[in-house]
Amino acid sequence: MLTYLARRIAGMFVVMFLVATVVFVIARVVPGDPAAVMMGAAATADDIAALRARLGLDQPLPLQYVMFLKDVLTGNLGDSIFLNRPVAQALAERAELTFFLTLMSVSIAVAIGVPIGIISAVKRGTATDQGVIGLAMLAASLPSFWVGLTLIQYLAVELRWFPVAGYGPPDATLGERLRHLVLPAIALGLPNSALILRFTRTAMLDVLHEDYVRTARAKGLGQAVVVMKHALRNALIPILTVVGLTAAILIAGAIVTETVFGLPGVGNLIVSAVLRRDYPVIQGALLVVSGIYVLINLAVDLLYAVADPRVRY
Amino acid sequence: MFGFARRLIATTAIAAAMLAGAMPAEAQNKVINVATVGEPPTLDPVGVTADLVSIITQHIFETLYTFDGTWKVVPLLASGPATISADGLTYTIPLRQGVQFHNGKPMTTADVVASLDRWTKVSPRGKQAGAVITGITAKGDAVEIALKERFAPLLPLIAMSNGAAAIVPADTIDAANPLKQFIGTGPYKLIEHKPDQFIRVAKFDGYKSPEGPASGYGGHREAKIDEIRFVPVPNASTRVEGVLAGQYQFADSLPADMATRFSGQTAVKGIMVRPFGFPLMIMNSKTGVAANQTLRQAVLAALSPSDMLLAGFGNRAFFEVEGSIYPKGTAFYDAASVQGYGAADDKKSAELLKKSGYKGEPIRIMTSMQYDFLYKMSLVAQANLEAAGFKVDLQVLDWATLVQRRADEKAWDAFFTFHTFVPEPSLITFMNPAYPGWWDTADKKAALQAFNTEADPAVRAKKFAEIQKLFYTEVPTIKVGEFYNLAAQSAKLTGYQPTPWPFFWNVDLTN
Repeated sequence: MLTYLARRIAGMFVVMFLVATVVFVIARVVPGDPAAVMMGAAATADDIAALRARLGLDQPLPLQYVMFLKDVLTGNLGDSIFLNRPVAQALAERAELTFFLTLMSVSIAVAIGVPIGIISAVKRGTATDQGVIGLAMLAASLPSFWVGLTLIQYLAVELRWFPVAGYGPPDATLGERLRHLVLPAIALGLPNSALILRFTRTAMLDVLHEDYVRTARAKGLGQAVVVMKHALRNALIPILTVVGLTAAILIAGAIVTETVFGLPGVGNLIVSAVLRRDYPVIQGALLVVSGIYVLINLAVDLLYAVADPRVRY
Repeated sequence: MFGFARRLIATTAIAAAMLAGAMPAEAQNKVINVATVGEPPTLDPVGVTADLVSIITQHIFETLYTFDGTWKVVPLLASGPATISADGLTYTIPLRQGVQFHNGKPMTTADVVASLDRWTKVSPRGKQAGAVITGITAKGDAVEIALKERFAPLLPLIAMSNGAAAIVPADTIDAANPLKQFIGTGPYKLIEHKPDQFIRVAKFDGYKSPEGPASGYGGHREAKIDEIRFVPVPNASTRVEGVLAGQYQFADSLPADMATRFSGQTAVKGIMVRPFGFPLMIMNSKTGVAANQTLRQAVLAALSPSDMLLAGFGNRAFFEVEGSIYPKGTAFYDAASVQGYGAADDKKSAELLKKSGYKGEPIRIMTSMQYDFLYKMSLVAQANLEAAGFKVDLQVLDWATLVQRRADEKAWDAFFTFHTFVPEPSLITFMNPAYPGWWDTADKKAALQAFNTEADPAVRAKKFAEIQKLFYTEVPTIKVGEFYNLAAQSAKLTGYQPTPWPFFWNVDLTN
């Protein structure tokens, strides 16, 4: 197990190095630079060139790359050109929101997707199953920005049950901040629940036809025990995989929902950095996100061993 | 003994409860949330001209002069108008006394000199003035600015709130770098900035207001609201819904087609801000196919500004088909010198195109979806030009790429952008020969020189009409029209004056 862990963590660093290099090159090859964006419309070429020099953007690319690698190896993700603060600090400021939003979205997606996927599999071929599949397709097709704006319109503006946007005033408690995340979590969780539902249904269908399930029924066990104890446990591995992938994608992929709800999350940070050409943030944030992605995959793999005692590393 | 102790404790408890009830409840802080279009690139108002920066920083920093409700230059940190020498080469600006910075230190002449000096080196507007300034010195309780030639735009440039000649403590200035401390003299001081979350400014108790009744940005300023939170909300729909739900008390820059959301509302009202801005199609007068003046005239003849504006804004109440660079009601408005605007004449355009010797080269026009209205207008422009015989290569880019590419004279022939209303023509980007488009003909230089060296406002207006005549002959840029801004405010907000850069001093929040 320890050897396996060491091998996976070493692989994580290789992935992060490759990501860092690719992002560094792509960010600088794409036209546009942060100095021009920051200076505004009235700036002349000389003004922009002066700011580029001040920001060190006029250095040769290989030198910029070497300095970037040197900083990364010493744990320094650099300073944001636009935000005027360390990239690590910018990420840390967004970490709480992104963590809770991801947790709440995945929880909603699992809470909807898994039970309904199980019901759909058990009632395969019936009107219930067909209805569920149809609803799942609809949920998966709904654009998250539309879901978000609809939730805002009815639950925030008309009923005033939830705030419209943002992450709460400066002195908000954790409870108030979480209340700000309810609507975005639903907007994210709903489309993702459809994917989890389909995977759950498929995994359960595979397992429900196994001999040991027939044996369990033949022994007179109740439907609930057969499904939840014998079938679901064995169907968990593909379900865990898709839940892990969903969580990993949501960390940086919730940009549309973050924009609609005015949430300063990691996704928003990365996309804003791309639009502003804030190179240190693009590089640093994607480096961290790729590392988290690998860690989540590792955690899912380790959970396999918990779900299925036959799995050994 | 214990009985006495119990009675003592009980009496003390009752007395404490009575005292607590008698003490006045802590006054509720008046706080407003202002939804803005996004995160500002900096809080240093000197080095950048982005409007979003000035909307926020004008509450923190002040300049020597500002603009009143008629766009006239009036004193702000100055105590009165500048004394201009007979030859127009020396400006003596008297300073108000007793003005404090947010750190409690008094504003001195040395601070003003240092701030102006930095402005001439760092600000795009300051550099324009700096080209003619030979010295800035302290003279008692005044500051003296010496020029090498007459320069009428000096005070308007100093009065502008972006690229601003903001007065800051001299010891916060580092010539090589942007400000790290944001200490000004304004009615509000910066208390917290969390990027992409909020910028909090709070009432500055030591604020000293200029004299006179409030008019525009000038006159009396009072911080009636205790705290303003500028919240970046990039999605326009979210800004609309947020102000309707009461989460924001003010929402800036809303799409014109959402004006109907505010009809029939009692708690929120929509506001139209006019004048606000004008879309432009900047032509490359320096290099490439558009360097040909006759071809540019052909472009002007082909375009239909009314169709372009309708496509861009949808709601007719929010735009005007106006060719004068300055709108009606302003000192520089002139209709007579507008020639050839709005022709939408394919035949005339085709004749001019032929006369220009056009050989069918693609006209590379840059546009961006990041400003939806510019993109829609560019589609109509493309159709207009193709109908007249142009071959159009419409390049849709993200804004950062467009901004970078426009600095390369070989990379484009035209690009779409827009300009916020500015009270002084010298503040308009394309008047600067170094601005992409590079309008720098001998006639323009002469006309601009005559305009900039003329001190009499009435004569200046006439001289600007001559510049506008050249604008329509040489066609360095095509002004599409005027557009107005939609904002929204809570009905509980009182005293708000619609203006291109919204401000919240003299504004109150009722229950």
